[in-house]
Amino acid sequence: MKKRIALAAALMMALSLAACGGSKEETTAAQTEAAQTEAAETEAAQAESEAAEETEAAAESDLAYVKDKGTLVVGITNFEPMDYPDADGNWIGFDADMANAFAESLGVTAEFIEINWDYKVMELDGQNIDCVWNGMTINDEVKAAMEVSEPYCENAQVLVVPAEKAAEFEGLTDLSGLNVAVESGSAGEDAALALGAATVPVQTQADTLMEVAAGTSDAAVIDLLMAGAMVGEGTSYEDLTFVLNLNEAQGLPSEEYGVGFRKGSDLAEAFNEFYAEKVSDGTVLEIATTYGLQDAVILE
Amino acid sequence: MFFTSDEFLTVAAALNTGFVKTLQLFFVTLIGALPLGLIISFGSMSRFTPLRFLTKALVWVIRGTPLILQIIIIYYVPGIMKLFTWGGGETGRFTAVSVAFIINYAFYFSEIYRGGIQGVPIGQQEAGEVLGMTPSQIFFKVKLLQMVKRIVPPMSNEVITLVKDTSLARVIALQEVIWMGESFMKGNQGYAGLIWPLFFTAVYYLIFSGIVTVLLTMLEKKLEFFR
Repeated sequence: MKKRIALAAALMMALSLAACGGSKEETTAAQTEAAQTEAAETEAAQAESEAAEETEAAAESDLAYVKDKGTLVVGITNFEPMDYPDADGNWIGFDADMANAFAESLGVTAEFIEINWDYKVMELDGQNIDCVWNGMTINDEVKAAMEVSEPYCENAQVLVVPAEKAAEFEGLTDLSGLNVAVESGSAGEDAALALGAATVPVQTQADTLMEVAAGTSDAAVIDLLMAGAMVGEGTSYEDLTFVLNLNEAQGLPSEEYGVGFRKGSDLAEAFNEFYAEKVSDGTVLEIATTYGLQDAVILE
Repeated sequence: MFFTSDEFLTVAAALNTGFVKTLQLFFVTLIGALPLGLIISFGSMSRFTPLRFLTKALVWVIRGTPLILQIIIIYYVPGIMKLFTWGGGETGRFTAVSVAFIINYAFYFSEIYRGGIQGVPIGQQEAGEVLGMTPSQIFFKVKLLQMVKRIVPPMSNEVITLVKDTSLARVIALQEVIWMGESFMKGNQGYAGLIWPLFFTAVYYLIFSGIVTVLLTMLEKKLEFFR
């Protein structure tokens, strides 16, 4: 009897393993199939797994891959005023509106999906999303891991402090001796380190504010655009304020936002052409004005 | 009145949709992991040595690595290796997370099952043999039945842990209740910088784990007739 159970168990384990491997076989089957259809010209709708399998070809033309599947999947976080849901749950904001227009220009529909920002490169490489379009600051790491568009918007890093201590921070050019909360891996972290602060890296920009509110850090560094929305009257952080532009304090130019695509993707070039066209016909300024970004947006 | 304010109603609605996701993940994991765990326990009790070693090695790997890491690996690695993608949308994320949870919990459950089955006294089997029962009758009608009673307390522990572990799913942006709570810190539906929604999610967990505890206690009482 025990032997029979062992046998049954072995069989079931094998089956479950086979089930795990099933999709793999499927894709290899799909691959051969893909090779066949390639010869006989492309068929319209192809299975998702098959599309993933074709990455080698897609690496040559990401644009064709996106057009082929009919959707541009945009990786975002809920970030007013760039990407945020309206009362009906539709994604709006400067980035969302531009993404919709870009998708339309390609003849596809934009699909927005919230991602964990830390894993944006993995999301792109794994083809779960096609671009990162969420007020992303262009820096060397971003450029190394993604195909980044021309900059479309300007931003700065600001220092958030308790309102009653704001006067102490005016005109500082050096943050040494301060514990400054920063988002791990953010442009704000680089700025705080450059000014000599002891940094406390936390998961999100929102967490940095909790650090200051709870008194566990002296100050926080976040994006100017975000500070405008999250600090001061009408928020849980009424006692906080932002005092210092860290880009000015370092004597650096302000930062620039770009759209991130898969490394080597030709979508970046398509975006640049699209953006230049929309700047010249005034659409960009119009959308930017809707969200109060007319001073930040880059029009050239 | 705070509990009728627009702010509270908006947050509560968002937390509710998040908690529905939490509950879906909870039940899908239980439905998948309870039977799979039993099958795995047969593997780790097998007399066929290679199968037993393989199962024990898998138990070691799955129990020995953080669930959060398993979720990340299961969701991202297939896409990066160009094997297949789960899909970038909510459905794909939910499927991948479910698979990770089912596998993880099945291996934990398998050890509980093994302890339960091996804990049934040998005398029970001998008694069955004396009564002329076939080996399969002994297994299903004597051993398995008594195992159920033995495993309820340790199972309850795991189930309560599962209620809370579902929050790990937000690492790949599954929008469960804690994700929703956190969203109001950063800004969601016109509310930004709110801290209380995150803390308020504790109420959801407490109520649900309370209900689960009561149900499991009732189950334990029902199984007392063996004594």
